[in-house]
Amino acid sequence: MPKKRISPGFKLFLLISPFMLLVFILSYFPLYGWAYAFFDYRPPLKLSQCDFVGLKWFEMLFRNPTQVKQLLKVMRNTFAMSGLGLLVSGLPIMFAIFLNEIKAPWYKKFVQTFTTLPNFISWVLVYSFAFSLFSNSGMVNNLAINLGLIDTPIKFLESDNHTWLKMCLWGVWKGLGWSAIMYLAAITGIDQELYEAARVDGAGRFRLMWHITLPGLLPTFSVLILLSVANFLSNGLDQYYVFQNAFNREHIQVLDLYVYNISVGGQNSYSPATALSILKSIISVTLLFVVNRLSKVTRGETIV
Amino acid sequence: MKKNGLRVLSLVLVLTMILGLGACGSQPASNPTPTPSNSSNTTPSDTSTPADKAYDKFITIDMFNSQANYQGIQSGWFGKVIKDRFNMEINIIAPNVAGGGDTLFQTRSAAGFLGDIVTLGAENGRLADTVKAGLLMDITDMVVKSQYLSKYPQATDMLKNLIGSDRIYAIPSQVSSLSPLTPSEGNDLTYGPYLRWDYYMALGAPRIRTLEDLLPILKEMQDKYPTSDSGKKAYAISLFKDWDGNMMCLAKQPACMYGYDEIGFALVSADGKTVQSIIDSDSEYIRSLRFFYEANQLGILDPDSPTQNWDTLAAKYADGAVHWSPWPWQGQIYNTVEHKAEGKGFMIAPMEDMKIFSYGCNPTGNKYCIAVGSKAQDPQRMVDFIDWLYSPEGVMMSCAQTTGSCGPEGLTWEMKDGRPVLTEFGVKAFSGDQTLMMPESWGGGTYKDGISQLNYQAVSTMEINPLNNAPYNYSLWPSYLESNTTPLDKSWKEFMKAETTLDYLSQHNAYTVAPGNSYIPEAAPAEIDTLRNQCREIIKANSWKMVFAANDAEFEALLKDMQDTVKGLGYDEVFAFDVKIAENTRKAREEAIANAK
Repeated sequence: MPKKRISPGFKLFLLISPFMLLVFILSYFPLYGWAYAFFDYRPPLKLSQCDFVGLKWFEMLFRNPTQVKQLLKVMRNTFAMSGLGLLVSGLPIMFAIFLNEIKAPWYKKFVQTFTTLPNFISWVLVYSFAFSLFSNSGMVNNLAINLGLIDTPIKFLESDNHTWLKMCLWGVWKGLGWSAIMYLAAITGIDQELYEAARVDGAGRFRLMWHITLPGLLPTFSVLILLSVANFLSNGLDQYYVFQNAFNREHIQVLDLYVYNISVGGQNSYSPATALSILKSIISVTLLFVVNRLSKVTRGETIV
Repeated sequence: MKKNGLRVLSLVLVLTMILGLGACGSQPASNPTPTPSNSSNTTPSDTSTPADKAYDKFITIDMFNSQANYQGIQSGWFGKVIKDRFNMEINIIAPNVAGGGDTLFQTRSAAGFLGDIVTLGAENGRLADTVKAGLLMDITDMVVKSQYLSKYPQATDMLKNLIGSDRIYAIPSQVSSLSPLTPSEGNDLTYGPYLRWDYYMALGAPRIRTLEDLLPILKEMQDKYPTSDSGKKAYAISLFKDWDGNMMCLAKQPACMYGYDEIGFALVSADGKTVQSIIDSDSEYIRSLRFFYEANQLGILDPDSPTQNWDTLAAKYADGAVHWSPWPWQGQIYNTVEHKAEGKGFMIAPMEDMKIFSYGCNPTGNKYCIAVGSKAQDPQRMVDFIDWLYSPEGVMMSCAQTTGSCGPEGLTWEMKDGRPVLTEFGVKAFSGDQTLMMPESWGGGTYKDGISQLNYQAVSTMEINPLNNAPYNYSLWPSYLESNTTPLDKSWKEFMKAETTLDYLSQHNAYTVAPGNSYIPEAAPAEIDTLRNQCREIIKANSWKMVFAANDAEFEALLKDMQDTVKGLGYDEVFAFDVKIAENTRKAREEAIANAK
């Protein structure tokens, strides 16, 4: 009897199965938690000991004008912060291109390391850093008072002025170097012959950047933009969580933070918070498909 | 064949996954020593009394302690006392330290193991739910046979009713045999307008008719004494936000000086007859916000208030950088032996219209209770330990940290001429001496580091200790009062013409007692909880903004915005529920008075 051979398809399946397993465990298995949105869940009871309430919590989110107004405020903040994030997403490209033009290798390495480091500092530490610099008795205020520039401390952290912009700047500071890494990698992939040909045609450094490097980076850029639009509603929680206080709450509370504040941050409102995050997931998936469609129409490329 | 193989394999994969995850879920939370299989058997096989019981095996127990402000192994001299008596050490799990509010309780209960010993608040259906979820052990038989716990049937019955069971699952704290109209706090009540007494005297002790009269006095105080002992800028008033719950915690405190305490969004008077909604423009809460707002306008409110935590603030008090405190213990961080000897320190001010809220003694105990976890190791030893906490020795030793109990005999106090007197060691220990070393026989280390971190007051420290016929709380002893002769005490006593704070308040009819009673609020419907969460976020945020508002118009606008928003969200429904609880509380308080007569 000839030895039975494993089919190539099955081999490929075996290769991919660990990853499918991970995807299932990390992305699909947690979805069973959606069940909480349909119960009157109250810890420490088990879910089976709680009452089934159907769509009550979904209705409650839209129960009256004030509830809707609260939700709209949160959505406004979410869109504003994500929008600003999209607006500044060109910065890493510029940074990568200019960094690439630096000739001295040690200086280039230094700048790159120096700008990538903030990405590895957690937001909690970033905040304590911000606090010691900008609080009422922080370094900046103390310095300004001692120099006689101001009489009373300026409230950098406890005010609602330009909250969106401030948050965006912190984000840029933290993420600029890190986001540029992807573009730096893409730059090395650009065919050197193109540059040589352009130089022969008499292009200067800026011409090279504009006509060769930049177009070479666009595919990477567009994929990243697509992904960030799909993540439009999930602009994270930790940054806003550490910076939030009574004074800037009006403009800092994004969707993820709102979900956290009414569930874990408050007392036992897990069910409505789950309902809200289900809605968020549905909108995010819709957004992804819309953007994907747009991309197909405009550029002929899709990611999904 | 190929297809089938594929199917079988995917099935196997899915199954392994589910089993693997299931296994993750069913693991109990970390348990230092493996539990013997006695958790299902709750009836002790051994009926001997704790005294002649040998605890052969050394164990480390987890204590889920909702009140402790320390996390980790109880060390030092109190740890040694426990080790000697019960051959175990206690690993304290403290949500207060871990942070994140209720999260720790929720995750641990989801894992099915809160701790070998659990202390928690019984209110809002919490105890009943915990029993229903199978997290606590039925300890009826062991309690009935115990030496001290069995003396409080009234208290355990109260919790039985609350759970709706005829079995004992938990024992209330602060049980008392005194009248429900006796203040449970000792000589200083929980609240009061405490000032830097030396500064107040230096200003010529101006008359304080009401709360708002404090503002110009505090302003003058700050102008005259603008720096702390270490030369930093001092502020008359400094606040913090750590304890904000349904409202801004610090803005509730002045309301308590006028005889109100909070029940949800309601401020309820001690007799239960007056109920205010905190967001009403004429409520005591808004009055306090206005008070702090005015203070900020005068420049006497610390701008760090919204961001600093209590530790930072405590350091400021210790440095003399704050001149006012709504609680005695907070201001009196400054009242060290040295400062008092120099005549410096915080004492209560004669605010003429105050009517300080006091919690009456409670025969059925406080809502905080202690229980044994359903998966506890050696349940009998756990009950023996809890029984010890309720014994005279246990109360003296375990309550010395926060409630002023007198500590172990022979160490901090001794009998002299038939009455208890603090020893020299005791005087140093209770004045907050950080470096006081314990004698070798107690295992060495400093007194402070080895103090009991349990923060659990088994019986009221107003109770009479059968070992010395004096209250557990040393500050009530005649010998202690006679020894209060520092320049600070003398100055205060002479001016106020009273021996103690409580003495002064009694003379001027300036406190009001909420009779201790057995009522514990039931759980609110989940919808009310959710609305409350939303409302209180708005209330807290706007309260802080109002305090720091730029001008009157902004203050009023923020107030209006707060009222409109929370009403729109459904504040009235939540408040109606609170009013119902307040009504039940009033009835229970009246019943308690009737029973006491």
